[in-house]
Amino acid sequence: MLRIEGLTKTYGEKKAVDELSLHIRPGEIYGFIGHNGAGKTTTLKSVAGILGFDKGEIFINGSSIMKNPVECKRQLAYIPDNPDLYDFMSGIKYLNFVADIFGVSSEERQEKIRKYADVFELTKDLAQPISSYSHGMKQKLAVISAWIHSPRLIIMDEPFVGLDPKAAFKLKEMMREHCDKGGAIFFSTHVLEVAEKLCDKVAIIKQGRLIKSGTMEEVRGDESLEEVFLELEAE
Amino acid sequence: MLKVLLKKQMTEVFRGFFYNRKTNKARSKANQIVLFSLFAFLMVGVLGGSFTAVALGVCFGLTSAGMGWLYFVLMSSIAVVLGAFGSVFNTYSGLYLPKDNDLLLSMPIPVRTIIVSRLLNVYLLGAMYSGVVMLPTMIVYWVIVGAAIQNVICGIVLFLIITIIVLILSCLLGWIVAKISLKLKNKSFIVVLIALACIGGYYFIYFKAQIWIRELVANASVYGTNVKDSAYGLYLFGRIGEGDLIATAIFAAATALLLALTIFILSRGFLKLATSTASVGKVKYHEKAVKEKSVFGALLAKEFMRFKSSPNYMLNCGFGVLLLPVLGVFLLIKGADILAFLGASFGGRTDFAALLLCTVLMLLSTANDMAAPAVSLEGKSLWIPQSMPVDAKTVLKAKTAMQLILTLIPMLFAVICAAIVLQAPIAEKLLVCVLPLIFAVFSAMLASYMGVMRPVMEWTTEIIPIKQSGAVVIAVFGGWGFVALFALPYLLIGQIIGLVPYLMIWAVIYTAASALLYRRLITKGSKAFSRL
Repeated sequence: MLRIEGLTKTYGEKKAVDELSLHIRPGEIYGFIGHNGAGKTTTLKSVAGILGFDKGEIFINGSSIMKNPVECKRQLAYIPDNPDLYDFMSGIKYLNFVADIFGVSSEERQEKIRKYADVFELTKDLAQPISSYSHGMKQKLAVISAWIHSPRLIIMDEPFVGLDPKAAFKLKEMMREHCDKGGAIFFSTHVLEVAEKLCDKVAIIKQGRLIKSGTMEEVRGDESLEEVFLELEAE
Repeated sequence: MLKVLLKKQMTEVFRGFFYNRKTNKARSKANQIVLFSLFAFLMVGVLGGSFTAVALGVCFGLTSAGMGWLYFVLMSSIAVVLGAFGSVFNTYSGLYLPKDNDLLLSMPIPVRTIIVSRLLNVYLLGAMYSGVVMLPTMIVYWVIVGAAIQNVICGIVLFLIITIIVLILSCLLGWIVAKISLKLKNKSFIVVLIALACIGGYYFIYFKAQIWIRELVANASVYGTNVKDSAYGLYLFGRIGEGDLIATAIFAAATALLLALTIFILSRGFLKLATSTASVGKVKYHEKAVKEKSVFGALLAKEFMRFKSSPNYMLNCGFGVLLLPVLGVFLLIKGADILAFLGASFGGRTDFAALLLCTVLMLLSTANDMAAPAVSLEGKSLWIPQSMPVDAKTVLKAKTAMQLILTLIPMLFAVICAAIVLQAPIAEKLLVCVLPLIFAVFSAMLASYMGVMRPVMEWTTEIIPIKQSGAVVIAVFGGWGFVALFALPYLLIGQIIGLVPYLMIWAVIYTAASALLYRRLITKGSKAFSRL
């Protein structure tokens, strides 16, 4: 589903991501953890086709994000760490905008909006301007907009930040359901307990370099993910 | 505390002079000098120059009639109007809408300190506008009447009093705009309507001012006596400029009191206004059938939504939408008389009148430049189009299309009106109508291209990309330059080759230039957008 090969991205003199390679298969929830400034957001943005990179390749279902960005983006959804949405739109207008861009039929979008807005208890606020939304409501709207076009790959940067416990629980359920249907999810998080419970695989990045990756069992062994992470950070 | 906040405000205000907004790197010394020189030329040379001319025309007549105070009342009024109207919307967005309001309010900073630091922005802007009127006013007076030390000191105090009055008026009007914004549902349109009414009033006064000033100078003693009898306060105010120490002390004290009161009132309401999102009733969501849009249609609809959501955007970048139909109606009512008058003025030659008509139509189309700040306005939401399966060129085309639609439709109405009133051969008539339409296309391409090549992505208030970005400056002033480039050479070569061939040459030039800009927009511009 997603293959990252030797991804390298520099900002001036600083290497934000250094020769990073990962392979995410259909059905996998892949967690991405690392300290602040480790290169997680840069990697996720590169995968989503927002940031260009200096070296390496990113393939989504065999298609290069560099060579065929539009084709790749059609298959993925991206949720940033801070959901800066179009404040001048109402929630429903934003969802319809996203649905139009991805060519979702009116019947399908209505069904999905009904379903996911109910899940996140956002239905009554859909006609309100996004500018009046709280951070959590914006995050919920961003999640609905990601699910509305049935992407195969979902990229999420700290998706649980700002969500209330109920919404976070629902999101975890939706993530599992998505991957059980053959989709894949690549997301970053600082909440190691969530990563431990939710992810099939995990990758740890430090100063732009991938230092450990694999199935949850392979990475943590007999320890907790937190202990492994702290040990690796201390090295 | 205040010092730190002031430093932050000043850094933001003058950042454009010291840092390149596109690359975020420090400008070279030479670059800074050029920018400051250009700014100084505009303010001192152009605006200051024109008000010096006004002051010279009025001062001698009034002072020799013993009505020096009336001269100061008159010029001060102009300064107050210019300063206050120039900064109403800046006050609103500068005081109540900055994105760092929440951050600063969460810090242990007294609300009053935040307001004072914000007010400094408004004060500087108002002082700048009123200064271009008051400084020539005082200098002209000192040259003609004499620069006694008392006159100079009182003159300086008068200027300071005026800047404070401008500040207080701006705050009051900004507060009204903020209140309206919170109470109304379709606030963008209401705010635009109010602003248009203000601008209309402003221009009405501006155009009538010359007649009023002439009348005032001619009958200075009559008007002077009337004002002195019925509005003694105004007389006292004017006396400040003449060096009356008592009048100066009274007004300085009153102004200081008013300023303190303004800050006190603002402090009380600021927290509520700055942190409110809207107090209008909640809109209930009802599921209804939606019509699917194409990718381009969705992007275009999004651009229109953004445009109509912001009074600042509509007023600063879409004035042509109103001006062009107004010109059309004006032409239908008065056009025939004006064109006949122009024809007679140019010795019976109708080609000059036709050229002038064409020039005015082109000039008004430059009042629309909504494509220029469109990329910058994406700001932090830029990740949305960048992560979607949309070509950068489609995004840019949608931004350009918005300007084309909002300019070509009113322009079409205006040129049809022009065609009705213009008495000219059919070929000439056709070209006078077609050329402004082609120019509107060229303007849209230029605005869009500049918008993507010179974007400002980091801003705390939308005024920065809408009014102060390089793209907007180039789109507007460059547009005027291209209109001048079209009109002026006619005086030299147009008369030799004739109007129709001349207009045809320019139609070809602007068509070719539009095509070239379009090509660059979808190639170089698309690459630049993807790299943002």
